[in-house]
Amino acid sequence: MDCRDIREAISVCVDGEASPGEAAAVREHLAFCERCRVLERQMRAVGAGVRQVRGPVPDRFREEVFARLESEGVLPKRKKVVSTAWRWAAVPLAAAAGLGLFLLTSREGIREPVLSEPATARVGTSAPDAPSPQGNGSALSTEDREMLAMLDLLEDPAAFDAGGDAEGMDLLVPGGSADPPIPPQGGRSGG
Amino acid sequence: MRTDEELMLLFREGSRESFEELFTRHHRAVVRFAWRMTGDPSAAEEAAQEIFLRIARAAPTYHPTAKFTTWMYTVARRTTLNYLRDTKEDGEKVPIHPEGEGEDGVYPVQLPGPDDRNPEQVVWEAQLTERFRTALGELPEGHRAAFVLNRGDGLSYEEVAQVLGVTVQAVKTRIFRAREMLLSRLSKDLSG
Repeated sequence: MDCRDIREAISVCVDGEASPGEAAAVREHLAFCERCRVLERQMRAVGAGVRQVRGPVPDRFREEVFARLESEGVLPKRKKVVSTAWRWAAVPLAAAAGLGLFLLTSREGIREPVLSEPATARVGTSAPDAPSPQGNGSALSTEDREMLAMLDLLEDPAAFDAGGDAEGMDLLVPGGSADPPIPPQGGRSGG
Repeated sequence: MRTDEELMLLFREGSRESFEELFTRHHRAVVRFAWRMTGDPSAAEEAAQEIFLRIARAAPTYHPTAKFTTWMYTVARRTTLNYLRDTKEDGEKVPIHPEGEGEDGVYPVQLPGPDDRNPEQVVWEAQLTERFRTALGELPEGHRAAFVLNRGDGLSYEEVAQVLGVTVQAVKTRIFRAREMLLSRLSKDLSG
């Protein structure tokens, strides 16, 4: 291969893009051709020259680019710090609002103290227009009735104790089984 | 760390921070490319701004079918090409000077190279750099783009071919011709 034919392959070799066959042909040629060795060095040098063409990036470049992007509406505007603060403040506010909403919409609602009425009447105070639990027993669900019974117990501790001593009571557990009663003192300490 | 492609997709979903990260990674390379293609600092800055505007505008239709940088340089090259067309570029401008080429294709030019075994490790004087910049600006745009993308920005021949929309063989030829033209121009300048 003569010099004119090998020159493009030299350029490709300089860029590290030659195939193994091309690289071998170039090496073989350069081994005996001084002129092409000089040309190979010149090609490398002129390749390095392009990296010398550079300039500093102006400090204002970034600001100008982002200002244009924002003015064209293609870039979301940066969130301000104050909005972040409000976002954090919104967490307890939302929690408080949620609690208030729960209390307002809860079935029992906010109890008003009705000291002079029987305990069973308290349940109806959350809905003044609702029929009285006693006046219209058919409106109560089974769950309501159980709750009323519990309130009766709480209002009358004597009824709570009426069943006998505590040691004889079964503890309520799921499935109806009960753990053995705990010995009064040190019952399990012997093991 | 997220890839460029992931950042671009996140930006498409509205993440400003993702675009800021892309800008941070690539704005210097974009400005340098524009500077080498236009040969003028103020023109390069203007073109580089336009490149980032186009990248941002194109985000809604972006699909990571190629490397982000390949796509970015495609946008960059088209933008600078439009800029050059709008100003003064008129295609093939620089003939090879027959008198500049020595026997058997060796050019009578002394490029800096104190260490001949590693001619890329050289110190370019300001005067030679300025001559080189002028000669680079006189290359046909397609040759200049191929040479700059490969030697300046480190793109492979395959990537350069994708950016320019030509074959790899065409890239080889353009880069080789660009080298010949540059050596010819520098030889003429330095010998005359």
